[in-house]
Amino acid sequence: MATWTWFHRLASPPHVYAFARRWTPWFGGFAALAMIVALYGGLVLAPPDYQQKDAFRMVYVHAPTAWLSLMIYTTMAIAAAVGLIWRMKVAHAAAAACAPIGAWFTVAALGTGMLWGKPMWGAYWVWDPRLTAELVLLFLYFGYMGLRAGIEDPAKADKASAVLAVVGVINVPIIKFSVEWWNSLHQTPTVMQMGKPKMDGDMLWPLLLMFVGFALYFITVLLIRLRAELLRRERNASWIREVVA
Amino acid sequence: MSEFFSMGGYGRYLWPAFVLGFGIVVLNLVLALSSLSSAKQDARRRMEMSK
Repeated sequence: MATWTWFHRLASPPHVYAFARRWTPWFGGFAALAMIVALYGGLVLAPPDYQQKDAFRMVYVHAPTAWLSLMIYTTMAIAAAVGLIWRMKVAHAAAAACAPIGAWFTVAALGTGMLWGKPMWGAYWVWDPRLTAELVLLFLYFGYMGLRAGIEDPAKADKASAVLAVVGVINVPIIKFSVEWWNSLHQTPTVMQMGKPKMDGDMLWPLLLMFVGFALYFITVLLIRLRAELLRRERNASWIREVVA
Repeated sequence: MSEFFSMGGYGRYLWPAFVLGFGIVVLNLVLALSSLSSAKQDARRRMEMSK
């Protein structure tokens, strides 16, 4: 029975709202701290790369944003699937809250990648498998948001957009493994691989800390957006009175 | 100091990338907070109307 208690709480909007309000400052505070220390470590303490020189420092902004663009989509698809299977409104609200954040981080990944591509490859953009698949990811986010905005009935919008989110998740492993499956200009993974990372410790710890910071930051923004979603969806519920009074 | 900003000549690509990436970090926080405050205002308005 105990296992189901948390599941029921997770499905209860007032519980989720109270949880989000309570924990947002903690996640946000640790996210900011991690990012600041990681920036100092990556930009000041880490030595230049032997091949890419100082241009390698791009990794401290490009890799976390690109990783987040995929992690947010995966979170969105899981939340959408939970919403479809268990008809859980909170899960649909969480999926809807993910979309704009994910779209922005896909833009960040593409933009920072272009600024890395120019000095390393000589071009801002090439129609490379990974770059193209990441662009498709941006259109998936747009499609998800457009579909939601286009359907007036919230229950129907939840269902239709959830199906799109779940089907589109196939793009996530395509992006992840594109550099191994096809001859890609994009470099292969340096950290996220089996065995030992191909990176020196002085360069590695700021990157890992940056990943932690971005993950905590995503949770922070997601919790804020989830509260907004719940307020809009539960507009006629009595608990709303207590939380906004 | 200027050596730090030039980043071995890569500064002109590096700094715009950091401004873009972390600009989007800040922007998303601002957008989320403004979405929450407008949702709260709507809820308050509805409460006033239903009184």
